[in-house]
Amino acid sequence: MMECLRFAPMLGARPGELTDEEAAALAEHLASCDACQARLADERALSGMLFEALAVEANRRDFSTFSDEVLARIPAYASGGVAPSRVLSPRPETRGLLAPILSWVRHHRLAAAASALAPTLAAAALILYLDRGSGPEPVSVVVSAEGRATTVLETSDGPVVLLGDPEPEGT
Amino acid sequence: MEADDLALVSRAKTGDPESFRALVVRYQKKVYAVALGIVKDRDLAWDVAQEAFVRVHAHLSDFKGESSFSTWVLRIATHLAIDSVRKERAGARRAIDDVSEPDLQEGGEGLLASALGNDPHESALRRELAGKMAEALAELPEKHRTILVLREVEGLSYEELAERLGIHKGTVMSRLFHARKKMQALLREYAGLTGHTASEGTEGGKP
Repeated sequence: MMECLRFAPMLGARPGELTDEEAAALAEHLASCDACQARLADERALSGMLFEALAVEANRRDFSTFSDEVLARIPAYASGGVAPSRVLSPRPETRGLLAPILSWVRHHRLAAAASALAPTLAAAALILYLDRGSGPEPVSVVVSAEGRATTVLETSDGPVVLLGDPEPEGT
Repeated sequence: MEADDLALVSRAKTGDPESFRALVVRYQKKVYAVALGIVKDRDLAWDVAQEAFVRVHAHLSDFKGESSFSTWVLRIATHLAIDSVRKERAGARRAIDDVSEPDLQEGGEGLLASALGNDPHESALRRELAGKMAEALAELPEKHRTILVLREVEGLSYEELAERLGIHKGTVMSRLFHARKKMQALLREYAGLTGHTASEGTEGGKP
């Protein structure tokens, strides 16, 4: 028993962690101690189990938002508008320029679609106007889409299409 | 082929968020597992794991690759985890690391090995016990949880444990002995192999 007090704590040592003297003394003790042999058997039987147990716990959690949450906590990334991992992110060097636009598009999908249509509608209006032939009065056609106005003006040099700037949000 | 850690670290240092994200994704579960083992609470472990990566990012420029990236991030995570449960340690009954005769009189040694059989890695009991182990770990005092996690999950050597915890190698061995003894007692109880519990008496059998 008294010898076990010294050697039982050494049973979990990995190769090289005990001095040569300790390792030799432990081997000698083990050869004659059933209790320490049993302790060593338990030690080996449970080897690696804690790692598995905590890995199972980790696998039970949904980590799909983890990296987004980490990046959101990093000021350098949070202020730069890093795209969530599920959205194709722009190249780093263009991120600063495109991030506000992509962010607006993500939050105003309908408006973005309408804005994209505006030039097409303007072109259609221009074709209609030109098809009518030149009339005596200047004609302007306004095509409004959400947040953007497109105007076709007749000038002495012919019709000119003006694409309006997006109006400020909330107007 | 996955970019290696050093290449990702190198790109992350230039401000590339996706490289840093790749490092986070690569190690997030292990960092969370280590944190959970020490702090017990899942939400706190989640927060500690995230904070560990935030700290890592803040000190990326200091990382020279002398140790592996995983060693570095796990080291930061365990520091944060230990720090977050410091109150528990401060309020705990002073536990003794020495091993004395009553520690060896509880009995039951070898029962788990016998029950797990010749090929313990394949046994159903092993899977069942592994399922109970996190629960058992949470029943241990903070310093025993910590040393077991550092040893078994982070894989630290006696020397590294002594340095990390600021204790002698002999204390590392005896503290690990007590931690394992308690863990094994709980697992024997779960497996119906004994009526002994880990909560009996104080560590070292001393008041």
